[in-house]
Amino acid sequence: MDTARMLDDLEVKRLLIRTAAGDAKAFERLYRLTMPLLLGVTARIVGRRELAQEVVHDAFVRIWRSASSFDPLATHAVAWMVAIARNRAIDVVGSADSARVDAVGDDIDAIVDDAYEWSPAANDSLDRVREHQGLRRCLGELRPAERQAIVLAYHHGLSHGDLAAHLQRPLGTVKAWVRRGLESLKRCLEDGHLGRRRDEAGSSEAGSAR
Amino acid sequence: MRLADHPMLDALCGEWLTGTLRGGARRRFERAMREEPRVAQRVEQFRREFAVSPRPVPGLVPSAAELDRGWARLERELDLTPAAAPWWRGVTFWRGWALTATVVAAVAVWRAAPGPVEAPPIALRPVAELVDAGKQPLIAAALSADARVLELRPVRPIVAGPAQSYELWVIPVEGGAPRSIAVVGDLGARIEVPAVLRERLRAGATLAVSVEPAGGSPTGAPTGPVIMTGVIGS
Repeated sequence: MDTARMLDDLEVKRLLIRTAAGDAKAFERLYRLTMPLLLGVTARIVGRRELAQEVVHDAFVRIWRSASSFDPLATHAVAWMVAIARNRAIDVVGSADSARVDAVGDDIDAIVDDAYEWSPAANDSLDRVREHQGLRRCLGELRPAERQAIVLAYHHGLSHGDLAAHLQRPLGTVKAWVRRGLESLKRCLEDGHLGRRRDEAGSSEAGSAR
Repeated sequence: MRLADHPMLDALCGEWLTGTLRGGARRRFERAMREEPRVAQRVEQFRREFAVSPRPVPGLVPSAAELDRGWARLERELDLTPAAAPWWRGVTFWRGWALTATVVAAVAVWRAAPGPVEAPPIALRPVAELVDAGKQPLIAAALSADARVLELRPVRPIVAGPAQSYELWVIPVEGGAPRSIAVVGDLGARIEVPAVLRERLRAGATLAVSVEPAGGSPTGAPTGPVIMTGVIGS
């Protein structure tokens, strides 16, 4: 858990930019810093440690080769790397691997609460703290079926087909859950942003009126 | 239709981040992320809003030895070692050198003295002259034989302000989008060329420098003015 909190997005971003310039030393630091996290993320998808190690290796090959496409103004460098590793993991798992899908846990609250970090770290910006709290609140406001579909798809890399098999519902139904759930989530997160902007505008008006 | 104008853009961004966009649909979406800056920006916005921080899995934290092995494998497969540890910096070499130094010194008394045993400078060959719009030469570019090292030698110091960076691009001989070689604050720089771009630095390719926000282009393509260009000679 401590490792995750020590993952400083700014440091990762700095290393990624140097990696993009072909700096092998920076790439080595980046590897040692982020590999443990990526191993966990991919293992939840592929299920086996040895396979997860292969996936992480491939992901780092890809990160080295595509680091120049990392947007230096992006604020979520770790998320950029996680996306590459997750995509590799999703590519690797067979779509018909029913044993993997069966092994997936169904306690959505436990997944959300235990596998992700929600409490602010000392070096988090106020924006980051709000983003985290907003996402958790909005996840909680989803309909249970939509929430379950989205969390399982994200956390375990389940496809629509995997979800349909696991939840024993028609494919069209789970597709709609994911789509509608994501729409609600986005709307809720945007409302949160607007609310904050209104609050900020309100407090600055109040301030100037004084 | 460009994906940036697609009514389903937000739905696709969400499904891509969640991981439910698969197969051809995902490949098309990822191509659009590379080619359409607005799609990349939208994804980045989703990433910011859907900010999740996974925790490492207890019991899955790699040991130090595992990390060493993993790194060694990457280093080998991506050929990252040679520049980092040339043979003449190896410990064995220097131990051997220390043992035989006396003999060598004695022999050197009556033979032509050998050159200093220091890091041999990398041989760099001038390959291009970068000029501004008025054809004024601003920078001489020199490249190592293996295209690993590119050195920029400005005729006068050219240093970016605090809110800006210079970005060096190569436009391949066969045309296509400029590829970013490096982001620098000072154009008097020795640059390690990314491995994937080395073979593109050949005769006929164009080098260009643009002015970008600090940290480099936000889109992956030049966004600011191009202040100098030069074609690599044979």
